[in-house]
Amino acid sequence: MVGGMKDAPVIVLLHALGASARSFDAVVDRLAGYACIAIDLPGFGNAVGDTDFTVEEMADHVAAIIRARIDGPWVIVGHSMGGKIATILAARSEHGALPGLAGVVLIAASPPSPEPIDDDRRAMMIGWAAKGPLTEDEATNFVSENIAAPLPDAVMAAAVVDVRRSDSAAWLAWLERGSREDWSGRIGVLHLPALIVAGSADGDLGEANQRRLNAPHYANADVAVIDGAAHLMPLEQPAAVADLIRQHVAIAVATRPTIPPHFARLIASDRVSARTRAILIDRARPDAVDYVPHVLSSGQLATLRALMARVIPQEEGAIDLAARIDARLHAGEGDGWRFADLPADADAYRAGLDTLDRAAGAGGFAGLDDERRDALLMRIEDGDCLVVTDATLSPAQMALWFEDVRADGVRIWLAHPATMARIGYDGIASGGDGWRKQGFAKTRADDPERWEPRATKERLR
Amino acid sequence: MKLDQMRRYAATDMVDAVVIGTGAGGAPLLARLAQAGLKVVALEAGPNREPGDHTPDETAAGELYWMDERLSDGAMPQAFGGNNSGTGVGGSTLHWGAFCPRPDARDLRLRSLTGEGVDWPIRHDELIAYIEEVERFIGVSGPADYPWDTARRYPLPPVARNASADAMAAGCAALGIVTTDAPAAVVSRDWQQEGGDLRQACVNCGTCHQGCRNAAKTSMDTTYLPLAVAHGAEIRPGCMATGIERDARGRVTAVVYVRDGIEHRQRCGAVFLCGGGVETPRLLLHLGLANSSGQVGRNFMAHVATQVWGRFDAEMRCNRGYPSSLISEDMLRAEGAGFIGGYLMQSLGVLPMTLATTMARGGRRWGRGLTALMDDYLHLAGIGINGECLPHDDNCLTLANETDAFGLPKARVTFGYNANERAIDAHATDTMIAIWRAAGAHDIMVLPRAAHTIGTCRMGESGDAAVVDPWGRSFDIDNLWICDNSIFPSSLAANPALTIMALSLRTADRFLKGQ
Repeated sequence: MVGGMKDAPVIVLLHALGASARSFDAVVDRLAGYACIAIDLPGFGNAVGDTDFTVEEMADHVAAIIRARIDGPWVIVGHSMGGKIATILAARSEHGALPGLAGVVLIAASPPSPEPIDDDRRAMMIGWAAKGPLTEDEATNFVSENIAAPLPDAVMAAAVVDVRRSDSAAWLAWLERGSREDWSGRIGVLHLPALIVAGSADGDLGEANQRRLNAPHYANADVAVIDGAAHLMPLEQPAAVADLIRQHVAIAVATRPTIPPHFARLIASDRVSARTRAILIDRARPDAVDYVPHVLSSGQLATLRALMARVIPQEEGAIDLAARIDARLHAGEGDGWRFADLPADADAYRAGLDTLDRAAGAGGFAGLDDERRDALLMRIEDGDCLVVTDATLSPAQMALWFEDVRADGVRIWLAHPATMARIGYDGIASGGDGWRKQGFAKTRADDPERWEPRATKERLR
Repeated sequence: MKLDQMRRYAATDMVDAVVIGTGAGGAPLLARLAQAGLKVVALEAGPNREPGDHTPDETAAGELYWMDERLSDGAMPQAFGGNNSGTGVGGSTLHWGAFCPRPDARDLRLRSLTGEGVDWPIRHDELIAYIEEVERFIGVSGPADYPWDTARRYPLPPVARNASADAMAAGCAALGIVTTDAPAAVVSRDWQQEGGDLRQACVNCGTCHQGCRNAAKTSMDTTYLPLAVAHGAEIRPGCMATGIERDARGRVTAVVYVRDGIEHRQRCGAVFLCGGGVETPRLLLHLGLANSSGQVGRNFMAHVATQVWGRFDAEMRCNRGYPSSLISEDMLRAEGAGFIGGYLMQSLGVLPMTLATTMARGGRRWGRGLTALMDDYLHLAGIGINGECLPHDDNCLTLANETDAFGLPKARVTFGYNANERAIDAHATDTMIAIWRAAGAHDIMVLPRAAHTIGTCRMGESGDAAVVDPWGRSFDIDNLWICDNSIFPSSLAANPALTIMALSLRTADRFLKGQ
């Protein structure tokens, strides 16, 4: 592992069939500042001799390394065969078993469903390995078939050596079984931010099949195409691959309110019930960068974001409280009551935000600086918001609506496990699924239990 | 709870009684009637669950609350949903705090003793006999010696105190205010529930309000309802009562309810309305029944439930432990106070989202003032009260012009404090601030709030001024009974659930006498 920036995610890289960790050398060189762990999968590179060749065993192999070596957020990059392993690990992470994953980059990735390989080609590749390690000619043929233009001599030579030193049993295990296994139902739809990279000159794993087979498994996926590259993009265009990884890591970090590792481990522990864990993991899903509101107009959403920035000021890794309020209004999730003087919740929000914008003047609420925003909100709170001619809510109604806004904002903020970690609240871990619940043995002041985390503020002291 | 083996009745069967609601009002009488060999069916609007299904997650635990919208009006619009009404087999007892002081004798005779408020048409000693029966059955934990009632004994030793309780004990001691371990309907030792399963000893998880996952806390689905089912009662979850059919003489013949969008009817010899202080009057007003007195929906009451919070140097972690593990009854009658009745004080552990909601609403906090406060969550602790609320004509429940998913008009509740509640609030606020100062709290804040839904179908001696008689029977329809907090003539300072359970047994005994 190369040392990286504090708090930046660790980048884990998984190679293709017949390759090894070093196929990412040129990419890792260009990811200065990030800690990178390129892993030799069983039967390849320096892991020749390891016989855990099945897809599940390969995923276990990587998970064990991640658990042992990473104590914070991480991003996974999977190339071709490694892409299928990456998606399986992403699913495990979203289901709580492997905390900390912030994003996924798939490069010419094999999909969770059976990989589309031409039958003749698969037969030829199986034939190569059936007799033992590949010959120089066969290995050269394999690499050459997967690139768009000749590689530098040293890169080519290393790639051929990697193919030849691969355990032929691992090679066969992938071609005959692993690539044919259908994991798509088990994976479902994941919500981690994903970048799906295709080479413009790739064959069966090119853009069309990436969109058809990988993209449906990621609700928040972008697709990028590298021009003039075929299947072995980390070797062909390491600079372009590194740039895409770097950009995606930045997005993943920006869109994910960070659950610190100690709290992620607590959520994964047996002190938390499976139901509670699933609820928290679901809620920790990153907000869509381009969230399209259902109940509010995009203008009202922008105003609500500006309002939330004052009601619940957040620093880095902000939770999109405005989008979550819109989603809640859309789902019709009320809280059992409303002020008799206000219209139904969704109507109240629309009217309240419009009134707020008009009361703010020409540039709207978002156009005000923080001081003016707060001054206006204080007037609204006191029921003394300036009467505007075409306002839809009266000053008295605005005071009531602003009370709802405060409550909604703080509830959604505190519901997020990142906020629980921040304030040190661990009541979600008061008992798992055993016959006897753990609860708390200690209840007195200044007497935390050994497992109890402290608030972020206290941890910084 | 386990319902797969229960006895089932056909809609065409003439059952002896249909009970609407499975909370503190419906469950004990359901069990009593079933034990007496009657054919009884309970309708529950919400789903059936197992204790292990509950989650401490505050958002998800909202599933225990009655979330159908109510409209809140008046000078102090009441927050419904959280804290004051429940849904699911067990009703509000799924999320109640299980803090269960007994009603004070003086609170039942306010009119006689002070000339204000109203008297209850029930003798205190008769009510207490039923309360003791309930306490023995559900397993109430409490102190060996109760300072304000030296003869009182509880079946189980008290649950552990938490940091809030210790702070309140210290603050009160400094001011000469007596405190003790709170009576809690939480078993402090493993408890083999009569008629039910083993209820495990409380593990201090602190999430009583989110549903007890090991059945340590009394809820009807782990106490009276298994007993009822064991004696042949049927419980139908997911059934919303929408109508009552009557014969030419006006007597109830069947209850109409909706299950999965389909209307059903159950023939019955009697009906017990046990839906709580909002749903019971809403249904009666909608159907135009049992209201010759004009009292249905009148006299809505909510306890004065002001809280005082503060920041302590010590790490309090007030979410740990039984939330209300300390009580003081010293202010049930405060010396020289200018108000009728009084208030109980209790220590408070509150989970962050619930606390922050009160801070944001009643406490009017937002911005850094709110986030910085919550960043200090581990250092916060509170105390609160439950104070008398007198009945007032202008506090009432009416039907709104809007309808709900069943086509029933939504309830509109108008509530505000009058002079007596304001005086209690002011006195209690001063007292609690003094206690918290003495306990070493900084940045003390007052959070105004009210709690519980009481009144709206009051009981009394006369059909001119009350909806039901002293046993919960309608003056207008002799086979329609009500048992829930709606029949309370006045609020009492004590939290309502224990009294509701006692009234439920008493109503059942009266009904059985007439069979």
